Amino acid sequence: MDSTQRSPVTAAITACALFFLFAPLAIVVLFSFHETPSLSFPFTGFSLRWYRQVFSSREFVNAVWNSLVVALASAGATLVLGAMAAYGLTRVSSRVQKPLAVLFFLPITLPGLFLGLALLVFFAQVRVPLSLATVVIGHLIYVFPYFLLIAKAALDRLDPALDEAAADLGANPWAVFWKVTIPQLWPVLAGATTLAFALSFDEFVITFFVIGAESTLPMYIWSGLRRTIDPAVNTVSSILMLVTLALFVVAFLLAFERKELGQKG
Amino acid sequence: MTAAETGISLPRASAERLAPTLLLMPLTLVAIVFFLVPLAVFFAYSFLTAGLFSVSAPLTLAAYRAAVASSLNLTLALNSITIGLMTAAVCTAAGYAIAYWLRYRARRLQLPVLFLITASMLASYLVRIYAWRTILGTNGLVNRSLMELGLIEQPLGFLLYNWFSVVVALVHIFLPYVVLVMFAAFRPLTPAYLEAAQDLGADAWTRWRRVILPLTASPAASTFLFVFILSAADYVTPQLIGGTGGQLLGVQIQANFKAIGNWPLGAATSLLMLASFLACFGVIQVALKLLRLDRIRWSS
Repeated sequence: MDSTQRSPVTAAITACALFFLFAPLAIVVLFSFHETPSLSFPFTGFSLRWYRQVFSSREFVNAVWNSLVVALASAGATLVLGAMAAYGLTRVSSRVQKPLAVLFFLPITLPGLFLGLALLVFFAQVRVPLSLATVVIGHLIYVFPYFLLIAKAALDRLDPALDEAAADLGANPWAVFWKVTIPQLWPVLAGATTLAFALSFDEFVITFFVIGAESTLPMYIWSGLRRTIDPAVNTVSSILMLVTLALFVVAFLLAFERKELGQKG
Repeated sequence: MTAAETGISLPRASAERLAPTLLLMPLTLVAIVFFLVPLAVFFAYSFLTAGLFSVSAPLTLAAYRAAVASSLNLTLALNSITIGLMTAAVCTAAGYAIAYWLRYRARRLQLPVLFLITASMLASYLVRIYAWRTILGTNGLVNRSLMELGLIEQPLGFLLYNWFSVVVALVHIFLPYVVLVMFAAFRPLTPAYLEAAQDLGADAWTRWRRVILPLTASPAASTFLFVFILSAADYVTPQLIGGTGGQLLGVQIQANFKAIGNWPLGAATSLLMLASFLACFGVIQVALKLLRLDRIRWSS
């Protein structure tokens, strides 16, 4: 196969797919700046009126605040529990590692609908009232497998000789962890935590079942979608996407910075 | 470790062995208490007697009988199967083409395109569905453009609120995942494989059929199933843009918990759905095994 050969069909499909993936999102952002309530072309002019309207809404500010609290709590819990578990997983015998790996990655395979419903009946059964705390638990179960996948892959790439060298020089396991492992790992852990935050911030499928009377940003959008056509939904959607995409870029840069450096060196 | 060293190393070795187990404990507990136990409770609920938003003691198979007997469930299950299969087929086919281009043709564009596709993955799930509602609607982008161009007189009604719009939105949601998995599947398939096939006289079609498809069948089948399951179990997209013809089983399951309040029926329907997913998984595994495609050994 000549490597200069072209493949116009697959190139065209890729171009179409990129257009298909981004055009709808671009339209939502564009119409969030529309000066009239009309949601269809022709686009008559730019205005920030929907942003002003949204930011002066107490419900919106409340929902954003709740989303931030939930995402911070679930990402924080994921970081602590996930980093410990990922480190533990690489250092136990395979007899322990295999069943635990299955347990830890199982939640990814279950559609969110069933995870949400199982938690709903569980909380009802143990008589825990639904609140933002139950949302945090739901998000933790949803995001920690992703965190573990990234963290474990990074840990597996580490050179065990460095840990051994530190231990031979008299460092206890705690010192090895903080002074040798963490400095090599923190960009990946920070990236994975940011991803956990972004996933939680945008989560709807599970939240819908385990939330109480409060609202989060996706729940706020959902109620907007259930009502009639509301141009402010474009604005709220754009804000939500801006936040998740910004977080994603941060996560990407953090998680890949290390690898790039390694390749150069 | 030699005997001479053990005197010094023993305390360290036991500390090293103990610490990982301790580190694993908290997440293991969380996963058991908030994942396995809720699933067990959910399973148990499907055998209980239904009250309104509650359950009571006598164990019964009534919920399963009701779930199977319901003609609404049957219609929705068939919808879930067709819409799930269509979404999975479109995603897998497009995923193959895009991964192929990324792997062998993209060159300097590879990283930027991969980045764009990964970035699009994080665009909000609800926003995607909403975006398609505004695009495919009567006054949406598609209809307005076609009317401006004079191609149609009246807005096309079949674009929104049916199975078509549901498939479009679901493909939009799952395509990025599929591309990334398929790109990973193509990774070990170096250009040398295709060059060797070409040197042996294989044309493009033969290279796809005899080299690419067999060597990527296993991950492709997994992603196909992944998309099928997640589409068939989606309950948000059909509610927002499914109209009457594009409703899925997940919507009814959700309604049994939220609006109708028949928890055992909802749980039984869910478990039947999960059981059929497991069966699909089993069938695919057996098929791959029979075709000897389950374990590919890559020469490095």
